[in-house]
Amino acid sequence: MKIEIINKSFSYTAKTFCVFLISLFLIFAFQLQAQTSREYSIKAVFLYNFTQFIDWPATAFSNAESPFIIGILGDDPFHASLDEAVAGEKVKDHPITVQRYQDVKDITTCHILFINRKEEGKMKEILSALSGKNVLTVSDMADFAAIGGIVRFASEKNKIRLQINLPASKNAELNISSKLLQVADIVR
Amino acid sequence: MYIDLAEILKCTECRAGKVVFTLVIFFSLTFSETGLYAQDEKITASELKKLSVEELMTLEVTLVSRTPQKLTKAASAVQVITGEDIRKSGATNIPEALRLVSNLQVAQLNANAWIISSRGFNTIFANKLLVMIDGRTVYTPLFGGVLWELQNALLEDVDRIEVVSGPGGTLWGVNAVNGVINIITKNSKETRGLYVSALGGTFVKDKASVRYGSKIGENISLKVYGQHSDRNPTRMQNGTDYTDAWRSTQAGFRMDWNGTKTNAYTIQGDYYGGTKKTTGGNSDFNGENILARWSRSFSEKSDLMLQFYYDRYYRNDIPGKASDELKTYDVDFQYRFPLTKHQTILAGSGYRLVRDNTISTSPVVAILPEKKNLDLFNGFVQDEISVTANLKVTVGTKVSHNVYSGFEVQPSARTALTLGKSNMSSTLWAAVSRAVRSPSRYDKEYFIPRTPLPPTSPSVAGGPNFTSEKLVAYELGYRVQPTASSTFSLATFYNVYRDVYSVEALPGTLTYQIQNGDEATSWGAELSGTSQLTAKWRLRGGYTYFKAKIKAKPGHNFDPVYLGNDVQNQALLQSMADVTNHLHIDIIARYLDFLPKTLATAQVPGYFTFDTGIAYTIKHIEVSVVGQNLYKKNHTEFNTLNIPRGVYAKLTFRL
Repeated sequence: MKIEIINKSFSYTAKTFCVFLISLFLIFAFQLQAQTSREYSIKAVFLYNFTQFIDWPATAFSNAESPFIIGILGDDPFHASLDEAVAGEKVKDHPITVQRYQDVKDITTCHILFINRKEEGKMKEILSALSGKNVLTVSDMADFAAIGGIVRFASEKNKIRLQINLPASKNAELNISSKLLQVADIVR
Repeated sequence: MYIDLAEILKCTECRAGKVVFTLVIFFSLTFSETGLYAQDEKITASELKKLSVEELMTLEVTLVSRTPQKLTKAASAVQVITGEDIRKSGATNIPEALRLVSNLQVAQLNANAWIISSRGFNTIFANKLLVMIDGRTVYTPLFGGVLWELQNALLEDVDRIEVVSGPGGTLWGVNAVNGVINIITKNSKETRGLYVSALGGTFVKDKASVRYGSKIGENISLKVYGQHSDRNPTRMQNGTDYTDAWRSTQAGFRMDWNGTKTNAYTIQGDYYGGTKKTTGGNSDFNGENILARWSRSFSEKSDLMLQFYYDRYYRNDIPGKASDELKTYDVDFQYRFPLTKHQTILAGSGYRLVRDNTISTSPVVAILPEKKNLDLFNGFVQDEISVTANLKVTVGTKVSHNVYSGFEVQPSARTALTLGKSNMSSTLWAAVSRAVRSPSRYDKEYFIPRTPLPPTSPSVAGGPNFTSEKLVAYELGYRVQPTASSTFSLATFYNVYRDVYSVEALPGTLTYQIQNGDEATSWGAELSGTSQLTAKWRLRGGYTYFKAKIKAKPGHNFDPVYLGNDVQNQALLQSMADVTNHLHIDIIARYLDFLPKTLATAQVPGYFTFDTGIAYTIKHIEVSVVGQNLYKKNHTEFNTLNIPRGVYAKLTFRL
């Protein structure tokens, strides 16, 4: 009698677990499929907003209709969301395009450069290569604005805060609207 | 979908599995990309572009409250349940909340007693777990286990519960052999405002809670709370009520002062009291505690913490015949600092004085001597070495001294290798550790009867030679975060125990003594995961396999089955879904294998059951209905008492 109960609960167990594991895998599969990066969708729209709240000098463009280039240095965390955010958009008459770079040396013309946080080890090299150019550097890596980057996406309580290094923006000859500065944290 | 479900339910043998499966599939289809609510999760770029910069800044970036980085990268089997998981589950006390952790075996013995352990040895005197509430140790050195009915917290204000299965002796202490449970409540600056709730139901008869928190000065917050609950009895096998209904009342406060950016001070305390019905009459309990903590951070890699607490509990074990009052004074100091660029030292020391007073007027059983002071000194040091950017090795040891077994050394070595990208990384970890369960008063000073009998009459005469139970644990685990909103973890272990508890007669006599006559090995695997499937639907789950071989040492003869009321397979799935902005539906399904018959307890059949909670929120008011253990009218979790199906309705007001 007792053995019967045990056997029964074993087969019961085995079946329960098979389906449980299958369920977990299904969840996993759905999860991967539904992989969204809400965080970077929002950050992509921030990048678009920067084009509207920041003025680039005319010398940053070869002519009145040359493209406004948003670059991504290193792995692209935005996937399609940045392309979607800027599709069909213009800065004055400059159509916005997105370019992806693996190395800072690949960059010829660029107006906003998002630097993947994994590039942290190469920051010295990157910042010195961009020094004096009209490039708005943006990243979410730690201390980005403090080490000479211009805009850092900081996260605070699961929300995005902006940290802006004002002297660095002056060095790049960029004029940031007071509207944007009012909602950001100014970092020295 | 529903017709299928009905078909499936006809097959009773595999009902549990199919119900779990059906629920998962049902929700997957309902909420997946093609489902109704997928839109909300992925805000489109054009929608986002309509928002101002200010509005963009108010959006939540990730949807899961992620555990601190140090946990996801930790080289141990950590599982965390957040306060939100607990509140949504409809749990009404801490043991019910712990049912949400799949690496814990939670068995309700009767209406007011729970038996909880991880990695086995789940006996009535389960004694291999260290449990802390806000840094205050709550297992009792009387028997090494936890009196769960005394441990209450305002669940609304619980920030998270961290459960480490496996040894934590190096950092935490002498009882952290098979696991550590760390219950952490929120800083009072996060619990400002009014919270009032009241519920009434069938098994949980009623519960009322109130909390008010406020800023009382520059950087100072205070909250006070009170709660009361009445709980109905369990049922005996013949269907009549058992005598174990009980009630408890607790009130407390917490004050936090973030003096400067680097200093933080906390003072908190609780007072509680209650009554349990027992077959021998009413049994009262009460207690209080107060804790003060100062922490100071010098840099990201350096801080110190100084903590003091006092805790007292009184419990009338056998009404009118035996009671126990235990007072604990504890001071702990901890300091962390970088030794070199690649090494961080964490060191600490502590002293605990426990004054125990057991009073027994029963001639049958006694703890002798009745009064005893238990001193505990400890010191530990641990070195975290970053061998490369991705490889961390942590070595350390704890040295402690207790009144029964003297000096104990509990070293451990852990290594964690981080693979892949920094924000969606995976960690492979391994550890070897030694931990001890030092003797408790029940091991050393337990007498039946009170007065010694000649060797020709059966008696239990304490455990004069009982020494610590020792464990060497080998662990290997893998933790991965495949997307920003999901984590999966697999932890495996192989444990070797020496000098395990036994009760045996001295040769040629009927005088029994508590000895270390057993040895054991155990092994198992713990799989767990959480996943935010859509903005409005979150799943948590886990599966744990455990197996132990406990045997008498050569020359010993204690039946070791008694020590292992352990489930071999258990699984859990919690689904939390916001069906609309106002309506939340929570479903928790779980399965636990059978427990074997032992010399003290009956065989318990394996069981499947589920809880369902439906909550409707309008502004400050939430109305909810929760069903607990709905699958069957009654089920048994330990020995023979039946835990009935329970339903309650709850009204909550938050301002």
